[in-house]
Amino acid sequence: MIDLSQINKNQKALIKTIHAQNTLKKRLLSLGLGIGKEVEVVETSLQKNTIKIIIGFSSIALRFDEAKLIEVEVA
Amino acid sequence: MKKIVIALVGQPNVGKSHLANAISGSNLKIGNFAGVTVEKATARLSTEGFALEFIDLPGLYSLEDFSADEKVTKDFLQKGEYDLILNVLDSTNLERNLMLTTELMELQKKMVIALNMDDEAIKEGIDIDADAMSKILSVPCVRVSSKTKTNIEFLVDEILHVTKNEFVAPKLIYSDEVEEQLQTIVRFLEDKHFTTPHFSNRQIAVGLLWQKREIYALMHEQPLYVELHPILNNALGHVYMYAQSEEIDEIINRQHGAFSAGLSAEVLHVTKVVRKNFTQTIDAILIHKLLGLPIFIFLMWGLFQLTFTLGRIPMDWIEASFGWLGETIGSTISNEALKSLIVDGIIAGVGSVVMFLPNIMILFLGIALLETTGYMSRAAFLLDGFFHKFGLHGKSFVPLVTGFGCSVPAYMAARTLKNKKDRLLTMFIIGFMSCGARLPVYVLFAGAFFEEEMAGNVLFGIYIVGALLGLIAAKILRVSAFKGEDEPFVMEMPKYRLPSIKLLWFVVYAKSTMYVKKAGTFILMASMLIWFISSYPKNSLIEQEYTTKIEALQPSTNEEKSSVDEAVKTIDEDKSVSIEDAIKALENEKREKLMEHTYLGMIGKTIEPAFAPLGFDWKMSVATFSGLAAKEVIVSTLGVLYSLGDKVSEDDSSLRAIITANISFASAMAFIVFVMVYLPCLAATSVFAKEAEEPKYTVYLVIFTFATAWVLSFITYQSITFFS
Repeated sequence: MIDLSQINKNQKALIKTIHAQNTLKKRLLSLGLGIGKEVEVVETSLQKNTIKIIIGFSSIALRFDEAKLIEVEVA
Repeated sequence: MKKIVIALVGQPNVGKSHLANAISGSNLKIGNFAGVTVEKATARLSTEGFALEFIDLPGLYSLEDFSADEKVTKDFLQKGEYDLILNVLDSTNLERNLMLTTELMELQKKMVIALNMDDEAIKEGIDIDADAMSKILSVPCVRVSSKTKTNIEFLVDEILHVTKNEFVAPKLIYSDEVEEQLQTIVRFLEDKHFTTPHFSNRQIAVGLLWQKREIYALMHEQPLYVELHPILNNALGHVYMYAQSEEIDEIINRQHGAFSAGLSAEVLHVTKVVRKNFTQTIDAILIHKLLGLPIFIFLMWGLFQLTFTLGRIPMDWIEASFGWLGETIGSTISNEALKSLIVDGIIAGVGSVVMFLPNIMILFLGIALLETTGYMSRAAFLLDGFFHKFGLHGKSFVPLVTGFGCSVPAYMAARTLKNKKDRLLTMFIIGFMSCGARLPVYVLFAGAFFEEEMAGNVLFGIYIVGALLGLIAAKILRVSAFKGEDEPFVMEMPKYRLPSIKLLWFVVYAKSTMYVKKAGTFILMASMLIWFISSYPKNSLIEQEYTTKIEALQPSTNEEKSSVDEAVKTIDEDKSVSIEDAIKALENEKREKLMEHTYLGMIGKTIEPAFAPLGFDWKMSVATFSGLAAKEVIVSTLGVLYSLGDKVSEDDSSLRAIITANISFASAMAFIVFVMVYLPCLAATSVFAKEAEEPKYTVYLVIFTFATAWVLSFITYQSITFFS
């Protein structure tokens, strides 16, 4: 089982499960991070604090702590 | 004329304000501060006898009130009074935008959908079949572009059409399994002849199945709930089984997601695939691992350099013209008291504030550019790691930078933070980000105590030091007063968009007029008041005493001037110079003494002991005090006080020169530190009080900022005096 924080730059993955609780989960879903959606990691910050992902037509910034809650499968 | 109230709703960065502006064509105010646009932007558009009024609501991703900001919109949509929702969508991001649209459709209100940014979509090869979409949803959908103003009139026609006609329920269809369960509940309600004024039975069924609190509360009070309960339980059980999940949020989201995806597939046609768009290319550099932060710091440094160097030029003109104005007007007035009021009070006071208008304009332009281009969220991305160490949130960056402009919108921008402790923490340190009103004080002192080439750097330094102090304060507060869970960092990075010149102009123009208005009203009054209490009561005793002293020196000068001897003459000249100096010194002393016996002098003397350890004289103490009203008043107070009190030399009477001559370096630095940290102003404090909700926080803020300001200022003064 791997999570989004383990995905390398320029790699794509499919979202399998979101382990976040309530409001955070709703937020992630409303930003388009639905189950089965394909995401691409496009940038990671120097100290591995934040990542930028592309999902559909939008770019989302996430902290590593939050990325760890998103279980993925390498596409 | 019939008024139509339109609620503008959409996800963030879809151009709601811009669209409202394009529709009205008037000088509608645009406030693009993150989450601050709750203002009623009235656009008088009188087509066919209708007046359209737009309520520009903060952007939101879903109706789940994630942040305080989104709650504002949700509350308005559920409880506010409006006739129609104008749902604005970004055509280049249709599927995700439709997620919000599906939620809005569940509200069962009249609605028109504006597919905005059509020009951009066309460029990216995206084509949306608006007619098909209208048919599928039973909601009129119009492709528009607020930038190129295409189809705006057609959109207005649709709005009028929808308003004039009966409400048509939008068609939002769920999966067969869910529809089946909804039907069961609706049938039950109909059998029982159940009706409520606010909701249709289908709406109630959806609300119950989706476990919406407000619908539950409503139904729970009904006698039929006893019978409804098992039906509902059964329905939920079925839904859970079909979905193979027991989490309703996820089920709802999947239903909405499936509907949005299905609709997109139906109406969206992408003709060319743009692999890497403009935004991705720019982002590769701007949020680059190594380059990102240096670029950000350089941009900030550049802004402050520009503020100082470019602002410097017109500043000298303004200063000169106010000086000229004072002289010209002064010479026409014979009444001494009136002349003093106008020249020393009004012109000196207001002039010293208006002078900084160019600096303010440049600073606001910079902040507006950061916000409108989309760079602000990149900066948040870059800084989150660093901020996190201090207990702050990457999103705090937006209110904090807004704070460089003005604390009032900054406190409001903090609404984007969900967690209350994070929000309060951010609000507590917004004051450390020096607002535009403090800029005049800094420019004045930086210009007075540093070389011109250095002044821009000093200015940048002041802002940086202020920000760093803020971070340290945040850390201290985080481990003491605001302990708690961290808020997650998840944010959208909007596309880079070049803002229209018109939009930028509006922002800068609105801020500048606000500043000038403040100078013309509030600061004018303050200057007059300060002039008055610094001129009265007149003390004839001191006047006489010094006049006699000066006269006593006068005759000797005349005598010695009559001498012819060369050698004696040179000595005499020295003597006469020293006598002239003595007279000047006496005159200064006289002014000083006179001032000390005015009302203001008395106030100053009373509060002076509190500020003495910081190296402030009583005039500076008074300025600090008056600065509580607004920071610009500090400059006008100093302007009035020093131009009345010390005419150092007639040929160089600019406030800068007077300040250099009267204030020691250590005192000046301590003063800057004090201004940097203490309470922003009256207006901001009241906004803080409103946003913080609990009054105790305002009390804490006042104590906290004053204590910090005093201590830091004390350290600055004492250490500079010690080392020099």
